[in-house]
Amino acid sequence: MRTWAPPATVLAMAGAGFVALLWLWLTGGGEVDVPWAPTLDLRLHLRLDGLAAMYALMATGVAVPVFVFAWRYLPHHLAQQGRSVREQPRFYALLGMFMVSMVGLALAQDLILLFLFWDLTAVASYLLIAYDRQDGGARRAALMALLVTAITAVALLIGTLLLYDRYATFSLPELFRVAESSTTVTVAGALIALAALAKSAQVPFHFWLGRAMVAPTPVSAYLHSAAMVAAGVLLIGRVYPLLELSPVLLDALVVAGFASMLVGGVLALSRDDLKQVLAYSTFSQYGYVVFLYGLGGESGVGAAAFYVVTHAVAKCALFLTAGAVTRATGAQRLSELGGLARAMPVVAAGSLACAATVASLPLTVGFFADELLFKAALERGWVFAAMALLIAVLTLAYMARFWTGLFLGAPRTEAGPVPGAMVAPVGVLGAICLVAGLVPAPFAAIAQDAATPSLLAAVPVEARYYLDLRAENLLALATFALGALVHAGHRAVPAAAEAVARLGERLGPERAYTAGLAALNGLSDRVHDLEVRDFRGRVTAIFLPSGVLFALAFVLTPTVGAYAVGSFSLGDLPLVLMLGFAACVAVAATRPRGHLTMVLTLGTVGFALAVVYALLGAPNVALVAVLVETIVALLFIGVLSLIPREVLRSQMRATRERRGTRFRDPAVGLVAGATVFVLVWGGLSRTGGEGDAARRLTELAPEAHADNVVTAILADLRALDTLGEITVVAVALLGVTKLLRRGRLW
Amino acid sequence: MTLAFALAAGVLAGSGAYLALKRDLLRVVAGIVLIANAANLTLMASGGTRGESPILPVEGEISDPLVQAMTLTALVIGFAVIALLLSLVYRVYTGYDTLDLDELSKEEARHAREIDQQARDDDDVAEAEGR
Repeated sequence: MRTWAPPATVLAMAGAGFVALLWLWLTGGGEVDVPWAPTLDLRLHLRLDGLAAMYALMATGVAVPVFVFAWRYLPHHLAQQGRSVREQPRFYALLGMFMVSMVGLALAQDLILLFLFWDLTAVASYLLIAYDRQDGGARRAALMALLVTAITAVALLIGTLLLYDRYATFSLPELFRVAESSTTVTVAGALIALAALAKSAQVPFHFWLGRAMVAPTPVSAYLHSAAMVAAGVLLIGRVYPLLELSPVLLDALVVAGFASMLVGGVLALSRDDLKQVLAYSTFSQYGYVVFLYGLGGESGVGAAAFYVVTHAVAKCALFLTAGAVTRATGAQRLSELGGLARAMPVVAAGSLACAATVASLPLTVGFFADELLFKAALERGWVFAAMALLIAVLTLAYMARFWTGLFLGAPRTEAGPVPGAMVAPVGVLGAICLVAGLVPAPFAAIAQDAATPSLLAAVPVEARYYLDLRAENLLALATFALGALVHAGHRAVPAAAEAVARLGERLGPERAYTAGLAALNGLSDRVHDLEVRDFRGRVTAIFLPSGVLFALAFVLTPTVGAYAVGSFSLGDLPLVLMLGFAACVAVAATRPRGHLTMVLTLGTVGFALAVVYALLGAPNVALVAVLVETIVALLFIGVLSLIPREVLRSQMRATRERRGTRFRDPAVGLVAGATVFVLVWGGLSRTGGEGDAARRLTELAPEAHADNVVTAILADLRALDTLGEITVVAVALLGVTKLLRRGRLW
Repeated sequence: MTLAFALAAGVLAGSGAYLALKRDLLRVVAGIVLIANAANLTLMASGGTRGESPILPVEGEISDPLVQAMTLTALVIGFAVIALLLSLVYRVYTGYDTLDLDELSKEEARHAREIDQQARDDDDVAEAEGR
């Protein structure tokens, strides 16, 4: 396969998807609503409303620069690890799947459908984070991401079912119409919010995001800016009308968001690894969004939407910057880098614009994001405004540390050439940040549209410069001043931040995760050891209690008339005798004699039963039984002849020497036999209803051109069953052939 | 007659369960053969009517052809399963040189430990390289 085909395909997919979605959005959106499994109330309900448009456009729009970047990045990455370029298509296929499931998630209007796409993104991210699968760290990080997000996804499912139990619908628009403030809605909302917070890596689930940085750079960029992490806040925005019904939930969101902003900011200040800095910045930034949703109200929700878009554009470019810098220098630590502005002017300029956007400097689109944040916080009170100010200062400080550390100062490393395809995306995204800083209308329009489904009403999101001394502007000025101060004292600050980070590592939730995982692993090992040590013990453990339970059930159910001895005439005597004979021979087969004796005894049981069938007026069955018993006996003998005599002998000895289970096995056999007896007796006592089924079948036989009624049934009336039976035999035959010929068919 | 059928089925199934618990894999298969036989007998016994064989032309009562057809299907499928089981047993023997479930369990436990050890070694190497 040509190496350009896979990236070109997903790139075309992303581009076409973006254009199509944009066109749809501009022409007023679209909707698909098909019953999927009507008996279960499941609908395939997708709608391109404002919120869906924003996230779907982000997922496809950010994918374009990421895929362009990956095109040049991946071959180099694979070559470094000594892997074949043939592993490329898998990467692009997974990225494509990630993108599609993200778009599906954005569009879904049905909670079950949403859950489906939710888990699909988790699966895709798992496979992508562990793309360097020979690396144990990558595998563990992927598992961590999967466990944290998939286990909490169960909370989403439980919340969904709670809502369904109460309102009998999975459809979100429907729920918004009927739901009212109640404990059920609060609990369901809390569970859904829990899943969202874990997905967005909010405190205390933040640890997985930092680990996930081991993924290849394009994956990190995509994961952090437009997919996966964004999915969490997307869910909050999607179910916001439900969350809004419980003020306590909104307050919890404020707390979680603030904690995340704080922890993320502090950790971002303390990290040395480029991608780690950006990772913690991401989760701090999503903390902003959660915080804003928690603040609520028109300005809060509008600001949240605005924040998500600006962050997606800027953060993607910053990750690509990290990738480009590492490609050029081979280093990925801030302490090893510096003074790259001269060697990489385009990357420096582009990432400056994006860093300024994240830090909310004027002339970039990020400025409006902070203005909206301050406005929403001020509406709630000064305490919230102070919180916002603190976080904005932290953000400015770590962004300044990141950019100046990379591009200013004395050069510490040689910078090699970087392909244009890896530089251009950074430049383009940076330009977008700047242009939108001057003309923020498109961003504001999309954010305004995105806030509408969350509030169920259209609200204006205003992004413009006010040149006066309003509170928002004062707060922004304070941010710049304090941020500069923190950055100036940067020797002391990172040290303090690092001390905090170390404390967090020692006591933080990651420890709980690791300990929990180790405990689970140990438990699984112990159970496994038990299981493989004594398989029969396990069978017994299932057989005995269930036999006892059955017996109890039979004892407790009323038995009057439930058991019939049945009619008996002298003509039935041969039948009874044959049955008794079969039973006696079956018991004899359990005696510890040689294998050949056992096989012949088994055959005798089968032939005795064949006689029973013949006496019952079933010559067809009797014939087949004779045939089957003969072949089974021959098969047994064939296997016996293939296995050396000594092995068989030692088996005999083992059977006799067994001590510990001398009473256990017969007890199990007795309980099983008694259970079957009571079950069969009870069952047979109830049949024998009148009915003329036999008569009718007999009349049908001539129409099937058969004299033998059983043949007519098998080949005609129940032909499909027979086809299934033949298939089973064919598959078994295939299996036998493969097994006996060690994997070869012929 | 109902009682007689039930007793016979019970004895067959009980003997089968007893055999299925043995250490010897061949006896386990034999136990499953017996259990299958018990199931077939139950099916046959559940016919609504008894009488002549259902082959035209018939006069008077015939025995229920439906259960016969079902028993036939069950017989053949049971046979296919047993053939597969037997070849599995043989394959196990060629792989492990034993038919003893205890030996096999020990082998499996040893293998599991080996895998664990391997994984631990890999981790150690990865960690050492990480530093």
